[in-house]
Order: sequence, then C-alpha cells, then structure tokens
Amino acid sequence: MPHLKFVPRKIFIDKECRDMPLTKRILKNLGQVPTEMVSDSQSFLEERRISRDAIRQGKKDLFITSQKGEFIKPCPCTPRYLGCNYFIINLDLNCPLDCSYCILQHYLYDPILIVHANLDDLWKQLDAFIDKNKGRSFRIGTGELGDSLVLDHITENSKDLISYFRGKGPVLFELKTKTVNIQNILETEPASNIVVSWSLNSPRVARSEEANAPAVEERIDAARRVADKGFFVGFHFDPLIRYPACEEEYESVIERLLKMVSPKKIAWISLGSLRFPPSLKQIIQERFPWTQIIYEEMIKGLDGKLRYFRPSRLNLYKRIIRCIKENGGEKVPLYLCMESETIWRDALGWVPRGKESLESYLSSPPGNFESMNAS
Amino acid sequence: MKKKKLVLKEIFLKDERYRTSYYFSLEKLKHSLKEVELLHPPLIALRNDRFVLVSGWKRVLACAELSFSYVPVLITEEMDDLKTFLMAFYENLATREFSLLEKAEILTRLKRFGEDEKRIIRHYMPLLDIPATLPYLDTYLAFSQFEPEVKKAIYEKNMSFLSVRPLVEFSSREREWLLPLLLPLGQNKRKQLLEDILGVSRKNDIPVQKILLSPEVRAIQESGTLTPLQKADSIRLLLRKKRYPAFSSMQDSFESLLRKIDWPDEIAINPSPFFEEENFTVTFDFENEKQLKSSLLKLEELSARKDFSKIFKLK
Repeated sequence: MPHLKFVPRKIFIDKECRDMPLTKRILKNLGQVPTEMVSDSQSFLEERRISRDAIRQGKKDLFITSQKGEFIKPCPCTPRYLGCNYFIINLDLNCPLDCSYCILQHYLYDPILIVHANLDDLWKQLDAFIDKNKGRSFRIGTGELGDSLVLDHITENSKDLISYFRGKGPVLFELKTKTVNIQNILETEPASNIVVSWSLNSPRVARSEEANAPAVEERIDAARRVADKGFFVGFHFDPLIRYPACEEEYESVIERLLKMVSPKKIAWISLGSLRFPPSLKQIIQERFPWTQIIYEEMIKGLDGKLRYFRPSRLNLYKRIIRCIKENGGEKVPLYLCMESETIWRDALGWVPRGKESLESYLSSPPGNFESMNAS
Repeated sequence: MKKKKLVLKEIFLKDERYRTSYYFSLEKLKHSLKEVELLHPPLIALRNDRFVLVSGWKRVLACAELSFSYVPVLITEEMDDLKTFLMAFYENLATREFSLLEKAEILTRLKRFGEDEKRIIRHYMPLLDIPATLPYLDTYLAFSQFEPEVKKAIYEKNMSFLSVRPLVEFSSREREWLLPLLLPLGQNKRKQLLEDILGVSRKNDIPVQKILLSPEVRAIQESGTLTPLQKADSIRLLLRKKRYPAFSSMQDSFESLLRKIDWPDEIAINPSPFFEEENFTVTFDFENEKQLKSSLLKLEELSARKDFSKIFKLK
C-alpha cells in the first residue's frame, strides 16, 4: 500500500514571510488547507509550547517563518565521543513522523513543524560557508533537525538544494529520510556529490517505534529506485535498538538491503545505538507508555546520556558489520555515530586520527572509496 | 476587610478549601503565643454562614492547642474563591518559602478555583521557583494526590523533587508497599530503588507487588538479624542486579578478581564509570617518600601476579 503523504491540518504563516516564493509554492501545493497569519511569532510559539500534548499537536500543523540566525551549524555530536565533522542545514525543523526515541522531542524548543522560507538567505550563507572552506571535503545535510524529504511534496526543497550543490564537489550534500517521498528526486538529474540516505531499522522497531513512517521494505525499495536513477545512497542504522533476537532481524534487513541496492551505489552506512539524555526518558514514558525500549539495560555514558552497556553495543555492532561484509558490502564505508575510540577500534578495527581523518574518509567523492586509506 | 475577635470554635476548620499547609510543628509558635499572644490575625472568609479559614492555619491550630477561647481575625468580604485564595497566597509568598508539598497544594487550589492553566504555568510557577512547563505542573498536581502517609514521609524526610518524582509512576497501593522500604534510605538510594523497581517491573511486565512479594525480597524482609536500613539497602542492591544484569555481572567479576589477587584496601582501583572505557584508575595516599615507594612496590608486585592481567579482559 503506498504511504500517505503528509498534509498539515493548518498552515500558520509568519506575516513577514507571506510574500516569499517558498510560501507561495507551499500554498499552491497545499490547496485547500486552512491558513492563518501570525503577526507575533514569539507569542504564537510561546502559546503552543505550553499547550497540552504540545509535541503531538505540533506535528499536525505547519508554521512558515524565517530563519533569523545561522542556517548552517556544525553537528553538535556529543561530548567525549568521536564526531564526524558533519554540518547541518537547519531548513525544516521538527517532523510529522512520531518516533518514540526521537531526540527532537527533547531538543527542539518549539513544538511545531517549521519551514524556513527565507531561502535567499540560505543560498547566501551557503556561498559564504563553502567559500570559507574552499578545497575542503566535508559532508553537509538537512536531515538532523527534521526529515529531509517528508515535506518535499510541499516545499520541493530537494530540487533547489540538489541544483545548488550540483558541481560543488568535494562538498557532499546529504538528504536523510525515513520516507518514500522521492518523486522530486526521481525527476531530478543525479549528481556525484549528492547522497540520498535512509534511516533503517528492524521491521519490528519500525512498526512499534516509528509511527507514521513507511515500512522498512518500502524504504529499501525507495532507495533502490533512487540508486537506479543514478544517485548515491546512504543508510543509517541508528538507533539500533536491542531486544531478544534483534541481531537476526537486523541481519535480515541488511541481507535484503544489499540484495536490492548495489553496494557500489552506497556512499556509506552508519551505525549508532540507542542513546538519549536522561530527561528524554520521562517524555518517552509519558508519550509512549507502551514502549519497552527505555527499560533495556542502559548505563550513563561519558557524555551523561543513557546508552547500552559497552559489551552489548559492541556485540551488536560486530554482528551487523560482519553481516554487511559477508553480503557484498566489504568496500562500503562504515562509520559509527557518537561512539568511543574503544568501540571504533574493537568494532571496525581502526580509529580515525582526529576529526579530519574521518571527514576525509567519509567525504571523498562516492565511488572513489577504494582509494581511501584509513589508518 | 473587617477586624474582629472571634470565638475560636466558630471557625469551621473542616472546610479546608484554602488550606495548603498540612505538615508542620507547632511547638515554637505555641511558645511564642504564650509569651506575646497572637499578633497577626488569621484571614477568614464567610461561606454559607460559616467562618472559613483562608490563611493562618498554624496560628489557629496552635491557639486551639493552647485552649484559647477567642482569636483576633480579619474577615474578607471577597466572595470569589480564587481571589480569596490569592490573598493568602501572596501574603505567604512575601513572607516565607513554600515546601514541595505546599507548592503542590497551591497549584492544585489554583486549578480547582478556575485559574487558567496557561496562566498558572506562566505566572505562578516561576513565583514558586518551579520551571514553567506543563510536565512540571502535572507532576506537582500528582504530588498533591499522594496518600497522607506518603505526604507525611515526604515532609519528615524533607524529600527533594527528584526523589519524590518517581513515586508518581506508582499506584496508591504500590506506594503504600514501597513506603517502609524508602524511609530508611537517603535521597539518592531512594530514587535509585524507585527507578530500578519500576524498570524491572516495566521491562519484564511484572507487577510491583509481585516483585516485592518474590521469595528473594521476602527472605530479606523477614530476616531477624537485619536492621530496617540493612533490609532496604539489601533489597535496593538486589533490584540493581536485576535491572542491570550485565553491568552487575562485570562489576562482580571485577570485585571477585580483586579478592583473588588479594588487592589491598589502602590502594583503590576503579574501572571507568560503568566500564564505559577500558582504563582503570589507581589512587593511594602517602605522607613521605618511604610510603610512596612502598605503595609503588606493592603495585608492581600486584601487577606481576598471575591473575592480574584478567582485569583487562573482563567481558
């Protein structure tokens, strides 16, 4: 069954943005959805923040406003674990998908779907940022504080972003999603420095913890279609969630993935295990009282976040990495998200020498990974 | 506002609609009343032809215990419950700190008297030094629903928000069972016990009651030799092992290895917290060169022992 595309219940428009081209495009694409002008966005957001069930309600409405600060920020990663020098573009904030483990429930101050419409400022900031980092190969993407494609039928941002980044190698631009909202991608010419990536999990986790997200098989099928179109694709098994026999289920997903998508088209696969600040636990408990994921054995990590006990994480990583290698993915670049040097060494057999080493390993033009020399 | 001398028995103390303080000691106040009588009149409102106490519960109860016949009072003509309550609230806000449970009762009264929820969050919670968020409001409202014995324990043990917060997750019955276990423990261990029992219960889908009635817990409870504190602590440790089996097992292996190599108490050796990293820390004290050399020699000797290298292979 095809997955339904998100349609907001109501669109709120910051009056400063009403004449912006993106606002007009959104209104054209959404036709009959009721709209309301917002003259004081601070009061509007404040009001929504203290509403009952604010997070769930916020996933139903769309707020078009402008990014007053910087669009581009370094990925905050987490203290005392290895980072990968990723840069994030804060274009859309929040997400209509409702994953129980989602850090945005804790991280985002404004509980409403936000689209920043001042794209002219984005392009200017990107020009300056790329100019400042001339010659440096780095990864940058829109999928950290929202899903890169879940609103794409409404905003069509993927077309503009791909068009902007085309030919700007060695910069690698990533669109990260859990959706199958790929129509605009399929209508766009691929470019070698664009990676469309999917967050994957086991079917059981997807069913129980990733509300409103398409099934894992649908995501893999979407990735296959995008790869067939000529794009490089990436995969993020993050967060890996432990439960009895989870290893076998993750292995099945990997076997299926590597059968469906040619490893040569895979730019990277990342692995990360469930982790969250202790204060998110209460939010998960209240919003998803049926979930069991917060009751697994988790310890307080070096960064103060709750995460699985080191031997448990390591075993899970090792199983998955072995499975990737045994199924034709031996040359696919693999990395761990927010993990310690110890885990890197024990799971992957190498430790990046500082941020630049990892940046270089992951940012080389896809397809040339064979020539990378990881230490 | 009228000032009047009222027969104490005419104050209808059964009507506690404005009352927010329940647990306090009257001794100092009684002493003061004996010396200088009542200087600050309590506030009274007339409701259904009855004198209802708005503020000054400690003062009136102390007067009653001292068998005063009359008390000076101020009678407000305000008929709106919220406005009347706010007189007492602001009077107290200006003069004293509120306890955790008083804050809970204040927020409950504001809600009950029809104050807008958003105004409670934005206006009153910051005045009470509570973060202005809905989850905090809900938590405090839940505190006010606790059973009197639980509230009394919170007052007597001066429990903090963080150690009381986990109690919200339990049913009234469960709190009743848990209370005797909690009382002997300190704040951190109390919080840990509550979180662990909840975790074990939720993870394995076992009711709290069943955990508390399990043979292992009962054996500890029925021990004739353990003090209440030792019982509570033993149950806490038992639950810790159930909640963190892999970590506890590694911790046990580590400790057993130290015993095997006869590691001396005067040299502390600790793994990275939760074994998250592979490093260990050794600490010892010394007052002079001789003691330092002695400890270093001891360490060298310990590290040469056959089983020492197993410390680096703990799984």
